[in-house]
Amino acid sequence: MISRRKALRAGAGFAALATVGAPSILHAQTKTLKITTWGGKWGEVMKATVLPAFEKEFKCTVSADQAFPFLPKLQVSPKNEPIYDVLHANSNEQWNAVVEGLVMDKITAKEVPNIADVYPYAVSDKIVGVTIFTSAIGLGYRTDKGLTKPTSWKDLADPKLAGARGGYLIPVNSLGQAHLMMLGKVYGKGLTDLDAAYKALEALKPIKLVDFTGQMEKMLLSAEVSMGVIHDSGVYRYEGANMQPVDFASPSEGVLALEQVLNVTPGSKVKELAFAYIDYMLRPDVQKQLAEAVWYSPANKKVKLDAKYDAKLLTTPEKVATLIQPDWKWYNARREDIDARVTKILKG
Amino acid sequence: MTNTARPSPIAWLIAPAGLLFVLFFVMPFAVMTAMSFYSGNPVTNPNAFLTTRHYERFILDTAGIFHEALWSTLRIGLVTTIVSLLIGYPLAHWMARMQSRLGHALVLMAVIAPMLTGIVVRTFAWMTILQDKGVINTTLIQWGLIEKPLPLMYNEFGTIVALVHIYVPFMVLTLTGVIGRIDERLEQAARSLGAGRLRAFVEVTLPLSLPGILAGSLLVFALSISAYVTPSLMGGTNVLTLPMLIAQQVGTSFNPNFAGALGVILLLVSLAIVVAYNRILARLSGEQGMA
Amino acid sequence: MSVARNRRPFDAGRAAYLALNALLLAFLLLPIVIVLVFALNPTPYISFPPVGVSLRWFEKFFTSAEFMNALWLSLWVATVVLVLSIVIGAACALALARGNLPGRAVLTAFFMSPLMVPAILTGLALFQAYLLSGIGRPVWGLIAAHTLVAVPYVIRTTLAVLHNFDRRIEEAAAVLGASPTRVFFEVTLPLIRPGVFAGGVFAFIVSFDQFPVSLFLVVPKGETLPVVLFNYMKFDLDGAIAAASMVSILLALSVVLVLERLIGLKAYVKL
Repeated sequence: MISRRKALRAGAGFAALATVGAPSILHAQTKTLKITTWGGKWGEVMKATVLPAFEKEFKCTVSADQAFPFLPKLQVSPKNEPIYDVLHANSNEQWNAVVEGLVMDKITAKEVPNIADVYPYAVSDKIVGVTIFTSAIGLGYRTDKGLTKPTSWKDLADPKLAGARGGYLIPVNSLGQAHLMMLGKVYGKGLTDLDAAYKALEALKPIKLVDFTGQMEKMLLSAEVSMGVIHDSGVYRYEGANMQPVDFASPSEGVLALEQVLNVTPGSKVKELAFAYIDYMLRPDVQKQLAEAVWYSPANKKVKLDAKYDAKLLTTPEKVATLIQPDWKWYNARREDIDARVTKILKG
Repeated sequence: MTNTARPSPIAWLIAPAGLLFVLFFVMPFAVMTAMSFYSGNPVTNPNAFLTTRHYERFILDTAGIFHEALWSTLRIGLVTTIVSLLIGYPLAHWMARMQSRLGHALVLMAVIAPMLTGIVVRTFAWMTILQDKGVINTTLIQWGLIEKPLPLMYNEFGTIVALVHIYVPFMVLTLTGVIGRIDERLEQAARSLGAGRLRAFVEVTLPLSLPGILAGSLLVFALSISAYVTPSLMGGTNVLTLPMLIAQQVGTSFNPNFAGALGVILLLVSLAIVVAYNRILARLSGEQGMA
Repeated sequence: MSVARNRRPFDAGRAAYLALNALLLAFLLLPIVIVLVFALNPTPYISFPPVGVSLRWFEKFFTSAEFMNALWLSLWVATVVLVLSIVIGAACALALARGNLPGRAVLTAFFMSPLMVPAILTGLALFQAYLLSGIGRPVWGLIAAHTLVAVPYVIRTTLAVLHNFDRRIEEAAAVLGASPTRVFFEVTLPLIRPGVFAGGVFAFIVSFDQFPVSLFLVVPKGETLPVVLFNYMKFDLDGAIAAASMVSILLALSVVLVLERLIGLKAYVKL
């Protein structure tokens, strides 16, 4: 049996043979790097410029999978012949993957030299793999509803916001999970104080819950909610195109980190290329291009963003210090119980 | 026809479908069922061991959500089926009895169009209509009829509205074929014998369209108990069905083994319902043409 | 049908019947109106009331190579699936209704079962089977998967029609000396046409709109339209998906119309 990709490559080979005559062997030897990546604006920039430039520089082809869910596909594929070489995921998924041995547990500056230039959070003990970007999870709010700019996570519990506040379905969304831990910190002893978190969650009812961030963006834009948990990128990216009065606020207790993490599969046959790709994604020029396309804060300290982005994104050590990274390993170990508990709390 | 009759040569026509189902359904699901008795993926993980814990987790339901999820899956399926039938039957009858070919084509397109919007876009359209700041609530508030938005969404009501909307076309098309096959002269004969229009319908057309009713409701029931995109977008926190749990287990809890177990349970329950249903179908009308 | 309806004066019962049907049609079409408004609305989110009219989302859809490739792949796959499932499904229905097979109720339920499993599991199970057997993810694997979930519709709708028609017509034809093949093509086939048509429409749409099964079976650069739209929407929930939806409606409706010409939902045969 030949796969479609092989058939395509063979077809390309034949075409080359027919037109040029000789170098069809080159085609057969071209390495392919299999990665996952996001869609939307991010995907457009990746496909239009970032990936073609990488292919050219490293004389390889990149096969980028944008179709979720990535981790279940990786789980099924044989470990010695993984379906991906590089997994792009949020940090809690990377933790799930590492527990099953699907990705490497440590990547250092030896393999990826640009790691030397990243902020500490990008390779902290709360991360497996390498963070290339982060967003800040805070509160998005309507400025036309007579609300003062929220300064604390507790502002979401304002009784005025009953039925007009937004959150996420905790079992399926990592922003929801991070917010739950934040409730433990704000109302209890810390991020792992689940009892306080459950109590605080109960007090947020009635609350509109969605399953992905795009939906929350729309709910804020159409005023279906007046305040909701959201990442900064989800508010800032509408800048210009959007005349709706929506703004982002960073609570004083700190913002939660929503990291974009890259990691390599242990069974990858092109590990060198995989590390080179991560290194490439950390280059200042690549970082700047992507950061400004989707309003992500770059992990590389040396990136200089244009003033308008620099003003709002986490680009200085002081601003980066406001990031709180949840312990996903701890959370994932308890998630079955947490899922059942919050489902019951929020139902009815 | 008797049950002891031997299979006729026509029975061989089942072969292509049989082959398709064995290769692409029975075998993959056998693997999945086997997986549901393992702690992890035995192919990629040498430490995976045999266990019945996924089934125990469902049966014991210490979390207190799984039985309720199964029940609401079936309840939503049942209500959706009944409402789809009530909405679909008049439309199907109208189409089947329509004389004008153009009119028929137009109604056909109108009925089919909802199926073509794409599941996600269609659901977003319903959200726009039903949400608190949606079309209905905004209009009613502007007219001063209500002060607070009606709870049209984020609950079972909204879920069922959106499901019915998607599945009515299935009901209509299945029924139209069957009603169209009923000789209209039968109904007219009944009326010429003095039966009112309603009575002629109830005593002639309705019984003859039973195979269509059963087939259509079977389709709609099967579809609505396996739907998960619509309930998760429309139901908010108040609706939790088995397919939603399955999608969660696959896509975000990364536990395909438990998802497989839930799938096996859902399939067994629905097969039992469908076999019972088919028995009724056979008893009520199956033998009639072969008498 | 051979019976002509008499022109009647105003008829309250009939007016109520028509009004009811008009209301039901309105229910079915309301969300499509909303999608159209969303597609023409220049803002990148659904707002009510709309703020203006613009074709920017249609332009975005038609100028995106990714959307266009996906659209053609989806149309192509759905057409193949349509043909395959009509043939396989109608044959299977005939065997179930006419083959004197033992355990018919169980077999019929069995052939419905792909509809009763959440499609995400079907996708995952097939993906796993393809990987285990080393097939990879060829496009025929995707077509086979779509056919699997489309065939039950054809079986169901064809069976429903078969249950209702008088077998004596076939028998009469045979008594009059027609060969079994001729009976099949000239009597049975025209009679089951409405059921096959309905099933064919479902098959096409189920494949064209298939998302959860495709999710696991598409390959990079070979993604079907619903998969591309879903992934797009996760990040950019703008009017482009509504424009895509309107284009899909028009395209698929034309396929349905062609199908109606070819097979016909109503049987225009005189009994």
